[in-house]
Amino acid sequence: MAQTERRDSTNNSARVAVTAAGVISPLGFGLAETLESLRSARDCVTPVMRFSVTQCRCKTAGQVSDSRLLASHAQIPRSGRLHRASHMMIQALQELVTQQPEFEPELTVVGTTSGGMSYGERYYRSLNGAGDLRHAPTWIANYPAQKPVIDAQTAFGLSAPCYVIANACASGTNAIGHAFECVRSGRYRQVLAGGHDALAEMVFVGFDSLQASTPEKCRPFDRHRSGMVLGEGAAVLALKISTSLASAARLFSPKSSVTAFPQTIFTSRNRSHRASERDKQWSGLSRARICLWRTLIISMRMGIATVFNDATEGKAISALFNGVPVSSTKSMMGHSLGAAGAIEAVVCLLALQHQFLPANVNFTAPDNDLDLNIVANEARPAAVSMALSNSFGFGGTNASLIMRKFEA
Amino acid sequence: MSLAIAGMGWVTPLGTGVDSVWERLLQGEEASATTISEQFVDRAYNVFRVPESALKGISHPRLRRASAISRFAAAAGLQALESAGLKLESQNAERIALIFAISNGGVIYTKRFYHEIVETGAQAASPLLFPETVFNAPASHLAAILGVTGATHTLVGDGAVGLAAITMAEELMANEALDYCLVVGTEEIDWLLCDAYRRWRLLRVAPPIEPFSKQNRGMILSEGAGAIVLARNGFVTIERAHPGGHFRRRAEAGKILKRILCDLGQVEIDFVVSSANGTFVDQAESQALQEIVPNALVYTVTPALGEGVGAAGLWRIILAAQALRSEELPPVLHADHSVRLRLSLSRTPIPGARRAIVLSCGLNQQAAGLRLAIQ
Repeated sequence: MAQTERRDSTNNSARVAVTAAGVISPLGFGLAETLESLRSARDCVTPVMRFSVTQCRCKTAGQVSDSRLLASHAQIPRSGRLHRASHMMIQALQELVTQQPEFEPELTVVGTTSGGMSYGERYYRSLNGAGDLRHAPTWIANYPAQKPVIDAQTAFGLSAPCYVIANACASGTNAIGHAFECVRSGRYRQVLAGGHDALAEMVFVGFDSLQASTPEKCRPFDRHRSGMVLGEGAAVLALKISTSLASAARLFSPKSSVTAFPQTIFTSRNRSHRASERDKQWSGLSRARICLWRTLIISMRMGIATVFNDATEGKAISALFNGVPVSSTKSMMGHSLGAAGAIEAVVCLLALQHQFLPANVNFTAPDNDLDLNIVANEARPAAVSMALSNSFGFGGTNASLIMRKFEA
Repeated sequence: MSLAIAGMGWVTPLGTGVDSVWERLLQGEEASATTISEQFVDRAYNVFRVPESALKGISHPRLRRASAISRFAAAAGLQALESAGLKLESQNAERIALIFAISNGGVIYTKRFYHEIVETGAQAASPLLFPETVFNAPASHLAAILGVTGATHTLVGDGAVGLAAITMAEELMANEALDYCLVVGTEEIDWLLCDAYRRWRLLRVAPPIEPFSKQNRGMILSEGAGAIVLARNGFVTIERAHPGGHFRRRAEAGKILKRILCDLGQVEIDFVVSSANGTFVDQAESQALQEIVPNALVYTVTPALGEGVGAAGLWRIILAAQALRSEELPPVLHADHSVRLRLSLSRTPIPGARRAIVLSCGLNQQAAGLRLAIQ
């Protein structure tokens, strides 16, 4: 089988190109709507109606419209049984396949944290309350974390083996990182990477119990930040080896297609080692000579607006990347956990392609302890050549991804 | 590049430690079933549990509040490192990666956390318990306990996830910055899982598990962990890994298994460790094996240890490596003798055996395989 044969040793002259992408998030269905929301700095966080939040401090989240989502896939057999996460993955993959019908991944690497969690919740509530369990087999069959990936592939006739990475909030970035390494090493020619997560009561309440989520607006890096809000969505990227610009992109034309530095994927996992590991991560990024680039946007996972997380990341950024524009798009769409790294990678791609800096909305006042160049409240045009996206999660999982335009 | 197995650790319902479990399997022993129940439902299930004695001596501050799945993983991981003669210190901690294969994750704490929400409301949710519900909590504990600071990934999937983890390890080890990769597969049992698999028509009421039977009477769930240290040198080589793929419906499982066997069976195969477990998997594997590698001896450990789901793939690899090393196979228990396969129905010497295939056909649409070789 071709997948398991190492084709070439690492080819450092080759670039890993993102040749197509698909996204669904509170910002919109697809790249065009996402771009429009980013440009208009739209705060897409809304009150949670999916489950009761009356006992929670936080009552809002970034949410994907159910009616529109389910209506989009009415033609898919038994679509009514699929979990929302499957519908989101199908939606994202549909956009990618439309751009590049010939894309046939040899491997799929997707990040998630929750899979079909809300089906598990329904099952448990029905069991516990002696409720109606007629649909339990459907809930159970659609609960596993890999099911949305299999459903999406099946919907488009794809059958690549899949890895489902569950590294908490770093899952999506780790998935793209592993896919990147698989392509760069020459082992695979085409890899599908991404992430998905759908809002679930248990996770929502969990973050609320930690008092990590806020009853107010999400204000990353703001002096008055008080916590995060959750989000949901899915994003997928087509990764290919590209030895020449001509063979690169369809969606992203040669001048704006994207590659990533090999040294920018970094993971660690041990909380007790976290501080020192993160220092190493950042110094690794520094070695990537980011500082030589005039314009860098930073789209952050860790900019989730909790007091300590933003402070830690903000200080590292200001120490290493003097004056680069910084933005956390989680202020607009919430934190979609396992999907966040993938969605934010798409945000970076759009910023690179359309030459603008997405906004960090709800920003009221700078934190005096953080010397950051925040893209406050409004997106702005800029010559963007490189973007860094960070993801830090439970269990000490840290990952960063750098993307840049191909320079002709 | 082929990787090799440098160390192994085994925590099973039949005991702990590779040599001990192996000897009991050779003797034809099987785990004893116990029943588990749930306070709000009047239904009990038979399961194969890891005896508490198997975890004696495993203590670490991180494990005080950790769930069973983390303790199984820690026990197996420590065994594997010890058998590889590997001591993690600050100089080499970055040069070892950890891949954690799970299926259902920390279901016991997840259920407990959600139960409080259902019974009492969101205000009763425990902030201490919530981080333990996250899929990668066991991997985080294990990395901290062992001192691993290289890349760490938690892979989620069905019974095929253990083999996918090996393939991923091979991909990570392409990076010369890594010397070792510790792969751990683990599973913990809860009543909720049993009920779910019963509703899915995959569980049988009581043992035994009857592999390759004409009727799919179902499996019994079990728990434990398997751990393997992969290195560039070792006693058994992972000659080829096939990442497999997914099947849309159960009836199509055979197609992908044939594809895997066609790829792995291009050289002479001495035996196959199958994932037959009394479900639809058996028929799919039986047909594929008869067609592609009809002369290979076939063994399945599931009747003896139960269906270990997230742990099962690693268990099978350990078993195959041990069989190659000791040149014999244990007996397949409770098998239908009329099946047209060369089953290892008794303790079977396999002198000079050089190659084995390990198959994993999961219960949720995933399948994978790999080939081991010994020099």
